[in-house]
Amino acid sequence: MSVMRALPIKNPIVCRQDISFSHPSEHEFACILDFYGIEWRYEPTTFPLEWDKDGNVVEAFSPDFYLVQQDLYVELTTLRQKLMRFKHRKIRRLKELYPDVNVKLWNRKDYERFLERFGMEGRREELVGQEALKNHDA
Amino acid sequence: MPEAERDITQDVETVLFSEETLLRRIAELGAAISRDYADKDPLLIGVLSGVVVFMADLVRSITVPVTLDFMAISQYTSDSPSGTVRITKDLDHSITGRHVLFVEDVIDTGLTLNYLLRTLRTREPASIQVCVLFDRPYRRLIDVPLAYQGFELPDTFVVGYGLDAGGHYRNLPFVGVLKPDVRR
Repeated sequence: MSVMRALPIKNPIVCRQDISFSHPSEHEFACILDFYGIEWRYEPTTFPLEWDKDGNVVEAFSPDFYLVQQDLYVELTTLRQKLMRFKHRKIRRLKELYPDVNVKLWNRKDYERFLERFGMEGRREELVGQEALKNHDA
Repeated sequence: MPEAERDITQDVETVLFSEETLLRRIAELGAAISRDYADKDPLLIGVLSGVVVFMADLVRSITVPVTLDFMAISQYTSDSPSGTVRITKDLDHSITGRHVLFVEDVIDTGLTLNYLLRTLRTREPASIQVCVLFDRPYRRLIDVPLAYQGFELPDTFVVGYGLDAGGHYRNLPFVGVLKPDVRR
């Protein structure tokens, strides 16, 4: 694979009210960023990670959030912990191909601590528990 | 046992930072601040409520003249009416042209501190620096330069010395981890 092909793809900007978050934890995260006046984008960039022999992208990664002023991507993974190894591998690959990109991966524990920080332990089940998993699978 | 007679130290499983350890480090911070702010008459600003315990010990370890002020802000809730931070108690002093030292008990994501520093910078202080007792860097989203720093907290839920669980335990003179059955 040629590193020359490793170019991020900019996704269309979606207005805040038209964003369809894939999980309630992402929606809550966005609300907290809004509360503190942090400028953010939702899945603004797709990073191709693997290509086939014809140069077609066969694996890519679109981190959930981009914090504009901080030049930081954040990926939230609050559901199945078995996905973490998969996500870690993607992020390792992303850092190999795009060394200047800053990205943080938050797992369920990170998100739970985040909820604790804002006194929202009571919403743990709704946002990262079985209820959220059920709703996400529906 | 009646709530009034309950000793909250019995709720703690492990002490992470003893009172002696905390006060020794705070004395070092106070000495550094006294050196750096000699002849600057700094204004120390804290955000209620967690910082009061640290602030009380810090100011008493500073040997140069300082002024003290506090502010309070609304906390995020899912149904926050305005959708943005509100200053619920503003400063009593003007900070324009003053050397400001912002004192915070703990920094975690950096969201709150970043917001407050942005707000205070619009008031054109001569300088603004940050003194934080506890740094929890694991989920930092916003990098904030810390001029003075006490301890790095482990990535676990801790209480005491201003840090709370549901508003309680701030008055513990040390920092510790609660027993699992107490947390539940």
